[in-house]
Amino acid sequence: MTVQAHEGVKPARKRLFAIDYHTMGPLLALIALCILGFALNSAFISEGNITNLLTRSAFIGIIAVGATFVITAGGIDLSVGSMAAVISGVMIIVMNSAIGAMGVGVHIVLIGCVASVLLGLAAGFLNGFMTTKGKIEAFIVTLGTMGIYRSLVTYFADGGTLSLAFDVRDVYRPVYYGNILGVPVPVLAFAIVAILGWVLLNRTAFGRYCMAIGSNETVARYSAIKVDRVRTLTYVIQGFCVSIATIIYVPRLGSASSSTGVLWELEAIAAVIIGGTMLKGGYGRIGGTVVGAIMLTTIGNILNLTDIISNYLNGAVQGVIIIAAVWLQRGNLANLNPFRRKPTA
Amino acid sequence: MAEAVAQAEGAILAASRISKSFGEVPVLFSVDFDIRAGEVHALIGENGAGKSTLIKILSGLEPPTSGTILLDGRPVRLPPNGEAEALGIVVIHQELNLAEHLTVAESIFLGREWTRWGFLRRADMRAEATRILGSLHVAIDPDARINTLSVADKQMVEIAKAISRDARVLIMDEPTAVLTPAETEYFFEQVGRLKAKGVAIVFISHKLDEVMTLSDRITVLRDGQLIATVETGDLTPDSIAEMMVGRELSNLYPPKHEPDVDAPLVLAVEGLTADGIRNVSFSLRKGEILGFAGLIGSGRTAVMEAIVGLEPRSAGTVTVNGKPVEFRSIGEAVRAGLVYMTKDRKGKGLLLNIGLQPNLTLLTLYRHMRGGFLVESSEVEAMERATRRFDIRARDASVRVGQLSGGNQQKLMLGKAMESDPEIIIIDEPTRGIDVGTKQQIYHIIAALAKEGKSIIVVSSEMQEVIGLSHRVVVMREGRKTGTLEGAEITEGEIMRYAAGLKGEKEDDDRASA
Amino acid sequence: MQLLRKIAVLAIGGAMAFSAPTMAQDDTVTIGVSIPAATHGWAGGLNWHASQAQARLQAQYDNIEIVLVTADGPAQQANDLEDLVSIHNIDALVVLPFESEPLTDPVRRVKESGVFVTVVDRGLSQDGIEDVYVAGNNPELGRVSGEYFLTRLGEGDNIVILRGIPTVIDDERFNAFIETIEGSGINVLDNKHANWNRDDGFEVMQDFLSRFPDIDGVWAQDDDIALGVIEAIRQADRVDEMFVVGGAGMKEVIQMVMQGSELIPVNVLYPPAMIATAMDVTVAHFTSNGPVTGEYILGAPLITPENAEQYYFPDSPF
Repeated sequence: MTVQAHEGVKPARKRLFAIDYHTMGPLLALIALCILGFALNSAFISEGNITNLLTRSAFIGIIAVGATFVITAGGIDLSVGSMAAVISGVMIIVMNSAIGAMGVGVHIVLIGCVASVLLGLAAGFLNGFMTTKGKIEAFIVTLGTMGIYRSLVTYFADGGTLSLAFDVRDVYRPVYYGNILGVPVPVLAFAIVAILGWVLLNRTAFGRYCMAIGSNETVARYSAIKVDRVRTLTYVIQGFCVSIATIIYVPRLGSASSSTGVLWELEAIAAVIIGGTMLKGGYGRIGGTVVGAIMLTTIGNILNLTDIISNYLNGAVQGVIIIAAVWLQRGNLANLNPFRRKPTA
Repeated sequence: MAEAVAQAEGAILAASRISKSFGEVPVLFSVDFDIRAGEVHALIGENGAGKSTLIKILSGLEPPTSGTILLDGRPVRLPPNGEAEALGIVVIHQELNLAEHLTVAESIFLGREWTRWGFLRRADMRAEATRILGSLHVAIDPDARINTLSVADKQMVEIAKAISRDARVLIMDEPTAVLTPAETEYFFEQVGRLKAKGVAIVFISHKLDEVMTLSDRITVLRDGQLIATVETGDLTPDSIAEMMVGRELSNLYPPKHEPDVDAPLVLAVEGLTADGIRNVSFSLRKGEILGFAGLIGSGRTAVMEAIVGLEPRSAGTVTVNGKPVEFRSIGEAVRAGLVYMTKDRKGKGLLLNIGLQPNLTLLTLYRHMRGGFLVESSEVEAMERATRRFDIRARDASVRVGQLSGGNQQKLMLGKAMESDPEIIIIDEPTRGIDVGTKQQIYHIIAALAKEGKSIIVVSSEMQEVIGLSHRVVVMREGRKTGTLEGAEITEGEIMRYAAGLKGEKEDDDRASA
Repeated sequence: MQLLRKIAVLAIGGAMAFSAPTMAQDDTVTIGVSIPAATHGWAGGLNWHASQAQARLQAQYDNIEIVLVTADGPAQQANDLEDLVSIHNIDALVVLPFESEPLTDPVRRVKESGVFVTVVDRGLSQDGIEDVYVAGNNPELGRVSGEYFLTRLGEGDNIVILRGIPTVIDDERFNAFIETIEGSGINVLDNKHANWNRDDGFEVMQDFLSRFPDIDGVWAQDDDIALGVIEAIRQADRVDEMFVVGGAGMKEVIQMVMQGSELIPVNVLYPPAMIATAMDVTVAHFTSNGPVTGEYILGAPLITPENAEQYYFPDSPF
């Protein structure tokens, strides 16, 4: 019997039924976390708490869906937190100043949303353009814009807080606090963005190109892929996601300041990596990202629901759980082999 | 068992009745193998015959499923992760494992640096590196950075590294695949020196002439089975090749079909000048195979990359089917019916860390879309088609391309290129690092394509290949075309004369300036 | 605070009367002001008051030059101090240290180079380095807040506490508050850090609301947190159940107090304007005849609907 002759390539359908730790790892970690949360305080599974949890994870989640594209294509965007802050700030300024000319109403909110989307697309394009055409490392470009956006919002707010006019706040409030068929609007937005993101990454040529570029840029170029254009587009998508997140963030508190969105970039990147996307690019998972974002929020939520851990150790608990989740996701559980061979001399 | 032990007598390292399965797939069946001091033992076989697996088992990187490894006659379990180096078993992989930014001396001592009080003994290590390089009679500066060295020198650094580890058994996986003839000769000298020192050398190669010159014994594997271990003197290249493929290999090259001199020109290049090439002109007829010969670095690849738009051209015209073209990217070339297959399969041709199917369709995703969305069934179909047509062999579709043998990677790349339904196919080094059986398959595919009416350019450093396939041969030297050979002119000697600059179309320049 | 400002202005006015003619001949006095960057609301107010005071003082005196630098962290602030001495050649330093411990030594070195030093808000960990100390009173803020809770609540009532960033300031406020309400029977359900941040205040309060069915009062310690807390309470529709006390005197919150809000009935002052006071006092040292030294501890008065108006600065960003 020959080994490989004339077997050809068998389709990989069987894989669907095997346990794939790379996919299941984050989900298992999340389920474990939820069981822990319930054990510590049964209020964890109350409808209100679950709603709060999902609603809260919407911001980071939506931004992380965008980050999945950027990272899959081998880039990184550190500016998203600052970008969210400056977009919130400008939205508030635009809406407040439009009231004078047009009066209060839904149209003011729409104007704010349009401003937000335009700004997000522009900011994303700027990041992408400078990395691809300017040939500067994404890390440096977005570190730069991170600082620029952060100080811009501080400047616009005079170092203080920009507040949305109270009468507009009432019109705008349902975008965060409202719900459709019992589902909070932010959760709905998160779900839609995630589904669209999944389709884009897994069912279009663009998504395939992102993976190819992140995997090996030269191969992508030799395969007739317009590398610069695809890469720039990933940053534009990231910017768009930030603007969507901002649109549902602003009605929550109706304000923006220099402390808005601090460290969101790291949370978004963490959510992406926990979800199984590779930091060096070439491989992305939107589903994992969604789980990762929910997990990050869940950790904070559980810490707030219990007082058995010193407040000063919150960061440590978060760190341990994040590392453990990624450890699971890398399939280490499957590799733990008690019968490891020992070297013999 | 008794005979296996008897065979292993006098051997430094021996494998007895080694079997190996990956999951449920067996890849080695009860193989015996041994290597003696001061011997060069060639290990040959087609892609997928199990050579790499056997090497991994001999060096401890993989444990055998059953069977014994004997070191100095005693059964051992080799430590994993390359720790077998401590026992004197050193492997030089096909992709040289050198950190590009370290110096030569740093590379030689990488992983086992000499220290005193925790500080590096830099001067001592440098002196020792110089001594080792001197003993090999190679003129490499120990302070040079690896990325400034030629491939041959890098190989010498690997050998020096092996010597510094007191290697008793040196296993080399296709060491000459990327070397020029001159470099290969130089490499052979080094192997001779190591052999004289009593090092046991295991040597994998697809170049049968090299195997004949260099080895003392030859072991042939086929489909995971040991076919034979024979003294080299008892064999001819033909008999080795037949043992490898298990069938008669009289027709490595398919018969050339008669080229049609009246066929229309599909590609005409006039005065092409770009970075590294000057004033190159040639033409390609429909149904023709045009060979491009020359030494490494003679500018053949640069010509092809300038034609398909990967590199900008500074002068000259390219005409496809009578229409002048100036491609700015591969995409435009593909749309015009011209496809280019790079010689750098791993760096430029294929995505190694993903599966076969996305690689196959990457160039032509537009063919698998309905309303902007990818249709998976269409991709699966394409994969099945290419698998049949090019006889691509993989365990299953989940295998990553990086795990495929070179031959299967090359077939996959051929499939990827053919997906675009090209009229003109440029193949750069079609069979680099590929076993003889797969080579034969690829030659037949190329010939069949030409017969179908496709026009093909084959760039190759293997003279035999160019001669065996081409209707006409363009020879290049130092960025210029030195001649075009036809019919009976296509001989090794003639090509070499043009390639080495002994003969050449000097008038090319005159014509351009006139 | 108002009183102190008046004293300072008086002193400056007096000093001007005496010394203005002679000062003109003297060399320019350079004063370095080093404060944390505007990373949260209160610090934003601090920056605003500092630049207002800078503009005002430079316009008032020809020979006073003020260099204002802001730092993102203790290490950067230490570098800033070195630069102020070596590059700007300052004669006086007004510094609001990021943290007490790591900046004690850098400030001492500035002092040793012969510079007049005014320390604001956060005291150094060694006594006797600074010439003038102007500070808010953190324990006082906790105590005053606690006393207000004692007037509203009693035996068996439940409260939750949202603290700031884990620092000495936070500890001082928290400990003083707990000491004050000790023995009253008021039950502290839990305390969590909300990092003087509105979003964190919102999220921590959401979780407190899901966890505790009965909350009578919330001490938010800071107005940014308080505003987040209020949104969370509104979302849970439990506005009538509890009240919230913040701290620091943010204009939005003071406005709500002025309007007699039930939810946020009072506020406790911890004014970012203290930096202006410190700058005034430092300038006075050079423009008046006598030297200025000592400690100026500002109170932390309770702001009620009755007195809110005098603490309301609509132009300040905080």
